[in-house]
Amino acid sequence: MPRALGIITPSANNMKVHGMDRFRPISAFSFLGRYRIVDFPVSNMSNSDIEHIQVYVSQNPRSLAEHLGTGRTYNINSKRGKLQLLFNQDSKSNEIYNTDIRAYADNMDQIELAHEQYVIITPGYMIFKEDYNQLLKDHIASGADVTILYHKVDNADKSFRNCRTVLLNRQKGLKTLGWNDGSNPETNIFMDTYVMERELFIKLIRKAQKISSVFRLVDIINEENDDLDIRGIAHKGYFNAVTDFKSYFDANLELLDFNKAQDLFTNDWPIYTVTTDSCPVRYVKGSKVKNSVVANGCIIEGSIENSIIGRGVEIRKGASVKNCVILGHATIGEGVKLEGQVVDKWAKILNVKKIIAPLDNPGYVTRGDTL
Amino acid sequence: MKQTEMLAMILAGGRGSRLKALTSKIAKPAVSFGGRYRIIDFPLSNCANSGLDVVGVLTQYEPVLLSSYVSQGRYWGLDSRDSGVYAIAPREKADAELDVYKGTADAITQNIDFIDTYNPEYLLVLSGDHIYKMNYAKMLDYHKERKSDATIAVIGVPMKEASRFGIMNADENDKIYEFQEKPKQPKSNLASMGIYIFNWKTLRKTLIADEKNEKSSHDFGKDIIPALMDAGRNVYAYRFKGYWKDVGTIDSLWEANMDLLDHANELNLSDYTWRIYSEDPTDLPQYIGPDAEIDAAYITQGCVVDGKVVNSVLFTNAHVAPGAVVKDTVLMPGVEVAEGAKVTRALVADGVKIGKGAKVGSASSAEILLVDQDVKGVE
Repeated sequence: MPRALGIITPSANNMKVHGMDRFRPISAFSFLGRYRIVDFPVSNMSNSDIEHIQVYVSQNPRSLAEHLGTGRTYNINSKRGKLQLLFNQDSKSNEIYNTDIRAYADNMDQIELAHEQYVIITPGYMIFKEDYNQLLKDHIASGADVTILYHKVDNADKSFRNCRTVLLNRQKGLKTLGWNDGSNPETNIFMDTYVMERELFIKLIRKAQKISSVFRLVDIINEENDDLDIRGIAHKGYFNAVTDFKSYFDANLELLDFNKAQDLFTNDWPIYTVTTDSCPVRYVKGSKVKNSVVANGCIIEGSIENSIIGRGVEIRKGASVKNCVILGHATIGEGVKLEGQVVDKWAKILNVKKIIAPLDNPGYVTRGDTL
Repeated sequence: MKQTEMLAMILAGGRGSRLKALTSKIAKPAVSFGGRYRIIDFPLSNCANSGLDVVGVLTQYEPVLLSSYVSQGRYWGLDSRDSGVYAIAPREKADAELDVYKGTADAITQNIDFIDTYNPEYLLVLSGDHIYKMNYAKMLDYHKERKSDATIAVIGVPMKEASRFGIMNADENDKIYEFQEKPKQPKSNLASMGIYIFNWKTLRKTLIADEKNEKSSHDFGKDIIPALMDAGRNVYAYRFKGYWKDVGTIDSLWEANMDLLDHANELNLSDYTWRIYSEDPTDLPQYIGPDAEIDAAYITQGCVVDGKVVNSVLFTNAHVAPGAVVKDTVLMPGVEVAEGAKVTRALVADGVKIGKGAKVGSASSAEILLVDQDVKGVE
């Protein structure tokens, strides 16, 4: 079986997450209490026997660098395997230049030095399970130049607003990669995932740079569609994307549904993440917890409903937390009532006794703030 | 190889037969504890947090799982250069038949060659059976200050229970002058915690002499410590204050787990400055369902609770189905309690399935019920 180089791309520069992305790229966002979003693509690759993985990061790399480390957590072979964190040198200039093509070009030597015949490119801001080994087999069997992955959703009018769409002809050949303008709930959302030979990938990067300095990989794919055989494969199973603040909030709460979670997390396909060796959760007498996901290390004295609670969170006596995503090590003080909030890491809500927002317009409490 | 100032050896060969079925296939130090740990995580994490680099784990009874577990030094951060955890089982030697360890001291004597490789100044001998947090580096400071040859960690126990322990009798300077194993009439309440620091050169000589003594039972408490005192060596007691528990019986194992529910529990596993490390499971965080009721509980990753949990400890991947009630109970890893089942005052062993509507245990029983077989449902 030919081998593939794994590439994990940063989110496009039109994707902004109000507040949170000041501190880390979307791929390093905490997810479902104990994960980070990047855990999904890296685990998918590791589980698919991809031993060489490049993670591209264009802003605030500290959090991602700390989290990924040497890749040991992800069960990447310590001798044969390699996890590289690659930086985009020019990330401070005008944002429109901050493209994935630019990031690849800046690290071209690392792509050329790789000896894998194929590349599999997948984003660091989408959440799904995918066997890339199988995808690579299907790609080779089809004889296509490029295989792309899409997911048919039924809520594109409300979600996936900054995503691209996939229009196919009857033979599953690509017609065009469009924009999701929200006009049609049933839409094929492009999963930003490509399989192709590494040589072709290098050629496309070079060509894109010649056409326009702000071209992205999607643009050159659209541009070359007439000359290349590009085919779409439909992804099945759980799929979500974090492209703005609301979608981050929704994606977390959606997985409160244990059946949906079981679709994403299966015993034969572990999602790895870094351990913090937190102890189990202590629920003190008098606490009330319903329909919630709670990560280890928490001490719960108050009540929780429909919420995701990160590691080491303290919810003190009489506090009530409803429809919230609480990130690690936050403290919710005595008698505080919270509804519809994302509370970022290390924040302490002690003196403000009530913060309430509706589910469709959640609020944000900044990392490390004391309220 | 860099010289190791203090090497740790953990005596982990015991069967722990009073834990009944829990140790029918695995050694006691490998028994699960506190939701996500195994007992041996405590001495190993203490070693790592105390800055020790090399730990030998002496196995004997059912060592397969224990050996493979402790060989993952990275779980405790004992995997940097010149660091490691080594599981050592009894072995055949050129000048002796393959034999099991004859006593705690013999387990060390038979591995003098391993210890010598690291040329340590001090040897820390630990038991793999106890739940506690302790900084061995502080104990070593004390050992050096007192110019001690052997230092034994002791803990004050209630006088009426003293006859269950190995008791150290010490003078006003904490210099030990007498050791009594489970005395009927204890003179003090200073119980040995089975934690020793020795000057390795002195201990080495004493062990070699003891090996030749046919009357010796080759035990640290009974033979080696008295021999050192007889030879006029300095033997000091190191007083430990804090949580320490021998989890040797089903009742005490249950009790130690229940202690974790207590807010004032001195063990305080939430303390980030002295974490207890363990295997890192890949399971989901715990899911607490829409109809769940939780009233005082200690619950870990991988658990799914849809029923009622009162005053109980749930280990990794324990599941409590809708309508089930788990009260005053410890559910070990992977236990499944089906719909409508009731479990009271029990310790349910790894992977046991309690069927629909089954009733297990009773609130009025004096002893904790050990459930080690699947329980059929009631239709």
